[in-house]
Amino acid sequence: MASTSMIERAKKKSDFRKTVTPYMYLVPAFLVMAVITFYPLIYQVVVSFTDFQTKDLLRGLASEKLNQVGVQNYVDILAGGLPVQNFDFFRVLTYNLWWAITNVALHVPAGIVIAVLLNTPGLWMKRIYRSLYILPVVIPPLVVATVWRNIFDEQYGAMNQFLTSAAMLFGSIDPVRIRWLEDFTPPIAWLLPNGPLTLAYYAMMIANFWLGWPFMTLVATGALQSIPKDLYEAASIDGASAYQQFMNITVPLLRPAMIPATIYGFTTSFNLFSFVFFMTGGGPARSTEILVTFAYDLVRNLRLYGAAAAFSVIVFFVALIIFLITNRLTKATENIVE
Amino acid sequence: MASVTFDHVFKKYGDVTAVNDLNIHIEDKEFLVLVGPSGCGKTTALRSLAGLEEITGGEILIGDRVVNDVAPKDRDIAMVFQSYALYPHLSVYDNMAFGLKLRKFSKDEIKRRVGEAADILGIQDLLERKPRQLSGGQRQRVAVGRAIVREPKVFLFDEPLSNLDAKLRVQMRSEISKLHQRLQTTFIYVTHDQTEAMTMATRIAVINKGVLQQLDTPQNLYDLPNNLFVAGFIGSPAMNFFRGRLRKDGDKLLVDTGDFSVAIPPSRSKVYENHAGKDVIFGIRPENIHDADFVPANIDSEKVNVKVDVTELMGNEIFLYLMSGQNTFVARVDPRSKSRVGQQATVAFDMDNFHIFDAMTEQAIR
Ligand SMILES: Nc1ncnc2c1ncn2[C@@H]1O[C@H](COP(=O)(O)OP(=O)(O)O)[C@@H](O)[C@H]1O
Ligand SMILES: [Mg+2]
Repeated sequence: MASTSMIERAKKKSDFRKTVTPYMYLVPAFLVMAVITFYPLIYQVVVSFTDFQTKDLLRGLASEKLNQVGVQNYVDILAGGLPVQNFDFFRVLTYNLWWAITNVALHVPAGIVIAVLLNTPGLWMKRIYRSLYILPVVIPPLVVATVWRNIFDEQYGAMNQFLTSAAMLFGSIDPVRIRWLEDFTPPIAWLLPNGPLTLAYYAMMIANFWLGWPFMTLVATGALQSIPKDLYEAASIDGASAYQQFMNITVPLLRPAMIPATIYGFTTSFNLFSFVFFMTGGGPARSTEILVTFAYDLVRNLRLYGAAAAFSVIVFFVALIIFLITNRLTKATENIVE
Repeated sequence: MASVTFDHVFKKYGDVTAVNDLNIHIEDKEFLVLVGPSGCGKTTALRSLAGLEEITGGEILIGDRVVNDVAPKDRDIAMVFQSYALYPHLSVYDNMAFGLKLRKFSKDEIKRRVGEAADILGIQDLLERKPRQLSGGQRQRVAVGRAIVREPKVFLFDEPLSNLDAKLRVQMRSEISKLHQRLQTTFIYVTHDQTEAMTMATRIAVINKGVLQQLDTPQNLYDLPNNLFVAGFIGSPAMNFFRGRLRKDGDKLLVDTGDFSVAIPPSRSKVYENHAGKDVIFGIRPENIHDADFVPANIDSEKVNVKVDVTELMGNEIFLYLMSGQNTFVARVDPRSKSRVGQQATVAFDMDNFHIFDAMTEQAIR
């Protein structure tokens, strides 16, 4: 019948509207992303299969001298075929993971403990402490790195001067001259064994600790505030000491907030380009190099654009794997608390 | 099992005196309810007993022991919080077992006690669940269970039913009463709901503004309120009050409200004779005001002309909201009453059941 088919057509039309309308709204955002995200991304993948070098910069992918090299760049990176000294992809990757893990392993517990201490009821000048520890969060890592680089300076650095004064108390007259960021072999062998980790690593751990704990304290402080006070009261009646309350209530109830913060801290440290670049530049002898600083080196100094592109693609997949793992972890801890 | 004593207890927060010279002796196995309006200091009194607040003055005793300086965990009490305060990350079983584990009970003993408490409360099937997977009523049971397993000398409840819906509240009320009979332990229970207090308590302490108003059995509080506050607080709908003056008219003693006056029957006038001429507040409960057509036999009654403002049929009775001059008041009358909204009517005050309070001191005149 004519009337029913008309109704059906009208219905189809409105169905069409319903399905298409949301996409219409997404178009502008998609266009922007296409230009600033997807195009460079695809361009980079294409470049990663070429021997793109300085000579090709002018004409880009249209350059006559550009050669398709297939997966050669990838093979070179993974098998150590790049014309770079002291380079081993898996060593850098391992160091990079270790660097990120050891950082959060320090920042998170320290952040929580400091948050709990600052949360003590009746503590004097709470507001001042709370505004103070925001500072490292808002200072650019570049500035922090530069300041700490100076602190670890061999001649004029505060660290060596402090150690000199401390040594003088014990009767030593020689100025302490530790080359924190340059020495490859640690000065005190029994304390810091001579392994893949150089003194610079420890210096950077100290500096990055200053940079990293306040964020964790910030998150933990917020989360602490959301733990109902009466849980502690119930626990104190149940017979829990302050330490038992911390372990049985504070820690488990901070987890939902701290796990995302830990993941954030991990990825931040993992890709902490400006800090590493300005503090040691990856040295000495690439011992503190992380993936992103190395990628930068490939472009900036070695001008191996094709290899750098391939490197970035690999880093992307590393990041993806890390993301998937951490995502799992977050899911597993969701819904602990209502 | 133990008695509990508040001996001249004060608790101040800065300028606020939350508990003001509280004296209560609670016998062993008693079910004492602390009742009063919100902010009157009930919770503070209970928390002081639990050791969660340090008192400003006086002594609190559990049994014969002064516990002022004893830590909460060593007071041998258990508390059910208004919010339940269940550990959100622990299962129901672990919530109940938590205190026992800390006290180093054996696994078997913990299992036995938790199982027993779960049986009593009917939550055997919920032991594996997390608190967020429970309804309000179930959480409430778990909170009670956590208190039971400890087998404390004194149970403390802070408005445990106020987060439940009306029906569940009634049900839990009787369950807690049964629990008290079963455990034969001292219960101290805080609520702002006088109905809860009346239905559960062996004795009730009525508190207002941090001050104990009256401590007595539910029936005595209802029949013989010491002062205006208790009279108005206990009973629902609340007692009607009329400002007036005691006046002698010949050999009769009247309460004159300005709009109407009622004669005090000779059997009771002796008590009030000395107060003739005094400003008083006359109180009468709604059930003691009858429709003039349906006055029970054998009572002294005084007729008052009123205007009917609102009627509420409850089935077995009718609530009449009445006006007489400046006064508005409520009567619970026979359902056969012919009173209609907006019309004049005549009601009868049962003059065997009224209260008179000194308008100045607000104390009952007896
Ligand atoms: N921690 C506190 N700090 C300041 N004032 C408080 C505190 N706790 C309670 N009070 C005050 O003490 C009074 C009694 O409070 P509370 O015992 O909670 O009343 P209730 O339980 O009867 O509603 C209130 O006036 C309240 O504002
Ligand atoms: Mg309260």
